[in-house]
Amino acid sequence: MSAPLQDQGPPLLRVEGVRKYFALTKGILFTRTLGHIKAVDDVSFDIRAGETLGLVGESGCGKTTTSRMILNLEEPTEGRILLEGEAIHGLQGDALRAYRTKVQAVFQDPWSSLNPRMKVGRTIAESLIVNAWGDRAAIDERVRELLVQVGLRPEQAQQYPHEFSGGQRQRVALAAALASRPRLIVLDEPVSALDVSIRAQMMNLLKDIQAKDDVAYLLVAHDLATVRHMADHTVVMYLGKIVERAPTAALFDDVRHPYTKALFSAVLEAWPGQAAEEIELKGEVPSPLDPPSGCRFHTRCPYVMPHCSQREPALREVSPDHFVACHLFE
Amino acid sequence: MTPDAKGETVLEVRDLHTHFFLRRGVVKAVDGVSFSLRRGEVLGLVGESGCGKSLTALSLMRLLPKGGAQTIKGEVLLGGENILECTPAEMREIRGRRISMVLQDPQTSLNPVFAIGDQLREALLRRKRAPLTRAPHAEVMKEAVAALRRVEIAAPEQRISQYPHQMSGGMKQRVVGAIAISGEPGVLIADEPTTALDVTIQLQYLKLLKRLQAETGMAILFITHDFGVVGRMCDRVAVMYAGRIVECGPVRRIFEAPQHPYTRALIASVPKMTGPVGRLTTIEGQPPSLMDLPVGCRFASRCSLVEQRCLDAYPGTVRVGDEHTADCWKATPA
Repeated sequence: MSAPLQDQGPPLLRVEGVRKYFALTKGILFTRTLGHIKAVDDVSFDIRAGETLGLVGESGCGKTTTSRMILNLEEPTEGRILLEGEAIHGLQGDALRAYRTKVQAVFQDPWSSLNPRMKVGRTIAESLIVNAWGDRAAIDERVRELLVQVGLRPEQAQQYPHEFSGGQRQRVALAAALASRPRLIVLDEPVSALDVSIRAQMMNLLKDIQAKDDVAYLLVAHDLATVRHMADHTVVMYLGKIVERAPTAALFDDVRHPYTKALFSAVLEAWPGQAAEEIELKGEVPSPLDPPSGCRFHTRCPYVMPHCSQREPALREVSPDHFVACHLFE
Repeated sequence: MTPDAKGETVLEVRDLHTHFFLRRGVVKAVDGVSFSLRRGEVLGLVGESGCGKSLTALSLMRLLPKGGAQTIKGEVLLGGENILECTPAEMREIRGRRISMVLQDPQTSLNPVFAIGDQLREALLRRKRAPLTRAPHAEVMKEAVAALRRVEIAAPEQRISQYPHQMSGGMKQRVVGAIAISGEPGVLIADEPTTALDVTIQLQYLKLLKRLQAETGMAILFITHDFGVVGRMCDRVAVMYAGRIVECGPVRRIFEAPQHPYTRALIASVPKMTGPVGRLTTIEGQPPSLMDLPVGCRFASRCSLVEQRCLDAYPGTVRVGDEHTADCWKATPA
């Protein structure tokens, strides 16, 4: 888990200069393109086997689009994503099916991610059936095993989603994701819909499973404390760009980018710890349709300098493995 | 935190019981809730889903959901008057003018087919008991602009002619806030108002609420599940579990020396921003069914300190410190 970083060997997943632009069009017959929403704009990072990468940012920062591209639900406009060295977009047929067994997802809302008319055992078995994983008896055995693994009882396979609480449903969704023994699970706000006490159970469970199965997680979250407890590396995004990227412990010890600092000071702690400088951001996130020139954060940045609106800052290494995109560090 | 924290009591709730009467049985969602709220104070009401915190708020507003919910016992004293005895017509006069509410989702609080200005106008005129049709339009719109400016909405003159879908979530929640406080209520109930907002926007909104409260001296009942928000906003906090308040006290006291095992476990299970990163403490088990509540302490089945007397009888409220109470057999009276 939090083992010292090994930079040897290829990463499990590599995101390379990925961009995703959505065209905003008008008209049906004579379609005109009014502009492009730059949801993700030149994003690169690696995820290693068995580690957790936290992806944080506010709504509209592109974290969901990034995770959808990794799930192969969305094609990047530019750039590529490699799993175990192989480009994932353009895969078809069996190769695509094989990819889907290796990369799975658990979404935020445990109420909408399960089919209400299907027994949960069947939902969990679905991916095994599709991939002809084994005969009926083998699949049933695997479903029972998965239910136990996520802390439910084997006989609960016969129940319907409405018979479960929110936390239990999220466990069922996790069991379904684990069924095909994936190498990577995209966790999109997996605990934010859960109650505080249930949230802690789910986070512990996710860590236990990772320690045992060596599965990697991409944790998309807005709650920094959750990311701190779960992630080995953290990537902070703002308006489609990575603004800061570092090992989680290093980031939480030494926040560099003004936006990350603002996110940290917006964390409402019941026990205000170290009296760090408080940054309250004025205004709201600008529209990704017409992002600010230069550094995209310059319109809200308390440290804005004249050239911030002209030149876009590059992501540069400010200390080992700690990258920041800000003119303050040039 | 507030200058007049020892102000007069503006709202007092005594032994409130709101139950759902269903064919399957009686769901005791709010089952003996008592607390008081003073002028200029923020009282946090925290608890997990299904503990009855939102239904408590709706009971105070007398806006119970359809389908068998009924307040069967208790008193809600607003400025000394028991509003549970008011007629529906009297309640309409009270809501908005003396007690107001902001809900979690601003999208559903605003009407999507009316401009912001029209929705504010309706609220402003109602509060003044003016007929909707005959008020001088320009004057009311001026007031609407002022109301938006008060909640720090930029360019309010342009905003009043816009529709809810043209605004961000944070801005819509400000509009809802403007409507809620337009009648200068003495009590504002805020039910998870920032849960749907981004963190930086949440901070802006909380600061705005604090500022408005300082200006008007209104009392706020702040319902949340987030201890961070409690630490930032509240003077006192009441912790609810299975239909009852199990602990109530000043925020610092509750965080530093919680007396009820449930409060302790709840606070321990929150991931922290500092300190060691290890396994999180969890509360095993589930809350009891509200249809079949135990005779003893409701937390007993999940409590690590459980004894026979906990199962035999409900502990009753113990005064454990200055303005600090806990419903626990093991609490030491002050």
